[in-house]
Amino acid sequence: MNSLRLLPRRIFAFVARDFRLFVSYRMQFFLRIILILAVVTTLFFISKIFAGFTDPQFSQWRDPLASWLTGLAVLNYFMTGFSSLANSIRQEQMQGTLESVLLTPINLPTVIVSSSAWDFLETTFFSFLYLFFGRVFFGVEYQGSFFLAVVFLLLTTVVLACLGILSASFAMVFKRGDPFGIFLGAGSALFSGVFFPTQLLKTYAGPNLGNISLILPTTHGLQGIRQVLIEGHGLAEVTQPLFILLGFLVVLLPFSLWVFGRAVRRAKREGSLIQY
Amino acid sequence: MSAISIRNLSKTYPVSFRRLRAFFRRPVKDPVEALRDVSFEVETGEIFGLIGRNGAGKTTLTKIVATLVQPTTGSVSVNGHDSVEQDELVRREIGLSTAEERSFYWRLTAEQNLMFFARLHGLSDSRAKQRIKDLFAKLELDEVAKRRFGELSTGNKQRLAVARAMLPSPPVLLLDEPTRSLDPLAAARMREMIRSFSGEDPPVTVLLTSHNLAEVETLCARVAIISRGSIRALDTPKNLRALTSDSEMVHITAAGTNGTFKTSFTRQHNDDRLDEVIKDLQSQGARIIDVETERATLLDVLERYEATDEHG
Repeated sequence: MNSLRLLPRRIFAFVARDFRLFVSYRMQFFLRIILILAVVTTLFFISKIFAGFTDPQFSQWRDPLASWLTGLAVLNYFMTGFSSLANSIRQEQMQGTLESVLLTPINLPTVIVSSSAWDFLETTFFSFLYLFFGRVFFGVEYQGSFFLAVVFLLLTTVVLACLGILSASFAMVFKRGDPFGIFLGAGSALFSGVFFPTQLLKTYAGPNLGNISLILPTTHGLQGIRQVLIEGHGLAEVTQPLFILLGFLVVLLPFSLWVFGRAVRRAKREGSLIQY
Repeated sequence: MSAISIRNLSKTYPVSFRRLRAFFRRPVKDPVEALRDVSFEVETGEIFGLIGRNGAGKTTLTKIVATLVQPTTGSVSVNGHDSVEQDELVRREIGLSTAEERSFYWRLTAEQNLMFFARLHGLSDSRAKQRIKDLFAKLELDEVAKRRFGELSTGNKQRLAVARAMLPSPPVLLLDEPTRSLDPLAAARMREMIRSFSGEDPPVTVLLTSHNLAEVETLCARVAIISRGSIRALDTPKNLRALTSDSEMVHITAAGTNGTFKTSFTRQHNDDRLDEVIKDLQSQGARIIDVETERATLLDVLERYEATDEHG
């Protein structure tokens, strides 16, 4: 109960710390903004190649630039949800600070949630920039309920955070060589429909490879967000991806927490909490 | 109730994936036995010393008390809280200072570092600021408060580690070589501060591990000697020295009719031999210039146990 009461304060402590570390590398911040602008501009020109040639059956891809920008912005966010938990543990291990953090009356789940908080703030800003530059400089129009889009964004991020907890558990025990990272990192860009419709996978790569996209939460999250922001669908029309994501959550949340608890106990038994 | 209670504590570091390695016929190391049936109590307000060679088990013991490592068997309790079952409560009661430089954020200032840890301890910002200010004054860190940790001297890093341990005013302090990188003056002040802990209200209990045996001898009410994971002796420094030898060598420098001369002899603690020799010299017309005694030190005690262990 006390831990819960102190949670906001602890999250603030980590955010303040990471903000100070972030501003100590100012150059990186400006370079990243320039990079995003360059990517958006490049995608604008590539999208012009496809102007008027989009297959009408892919309704979300009528404006490829809008699809790419939502895809990149959301993928950026999803990947943070997935990777920041494991990264926060690994970074503290590599810096040598994990032990000193764990010496405070704070439990490991709180450390993970708190230390990834800044990542989410940072990613929210940079993901927003994709959409902002698209809208301001290249006239990309978004429609539908932003609230519903945010619901999809949060739900998918939480589902991916469950996989992130599994990934953090893996980092805790094996230190390196996380299979979840490889599977989701490489798989999401290819199989989730970030750059092209997932239906094309089935057409050109066969149903077996095409169906991989169905088992990735990112596919359903992206589909839902695009249905809302690009096609302007309401809640009644997006129940399918919504329920699929909820299904992922119901299964993955208790399982990932159970695995994480086991991993922490093992690391404490082996005395390898700060090894990397 | 003891501040720290350690009962039948053993710790063997298991070898990860031992069976899997064996299955693939990879070389399998033996598990490392770091602690074996360790038991002792540290009373509230006591400064308790733990000495031993590198790899003797001091760090493992400290980490178990600090809840960072789980024991294989046995138990540790701090102010009545079990280190495994009530680890969060134990961490509220302790402050650990190690000589590990990497435990701070190098790009944050000394003040920012402490502020971060103060918030994790649940201190309000105003209370944390005041506490940090007080600690910086106490540990003479005011001048480097705004400097990045990476720019601090080794001695200041060491002092900052002690300041961090004291941040939440814990009733139990675990100090691992608190004076290792300090200059002689700063080390003396640090020792004075540690000595003052027992007089605070409420008194602070200190578990001190150090390779500086003179420091342990000066500060600690009781000392445990740990060797190869076992406590080999536990007593007051005086009694420990007496374990090795209850005799001392006395060197007397005197001036006689033929000039200055030295004489040495061995005596038992508190016997009359010194009086007799001095009277004898004076009766011969000699003037006593200097008397030096050479007693067994904790180093002799430590060496004795190490030698016993090495030769079985």
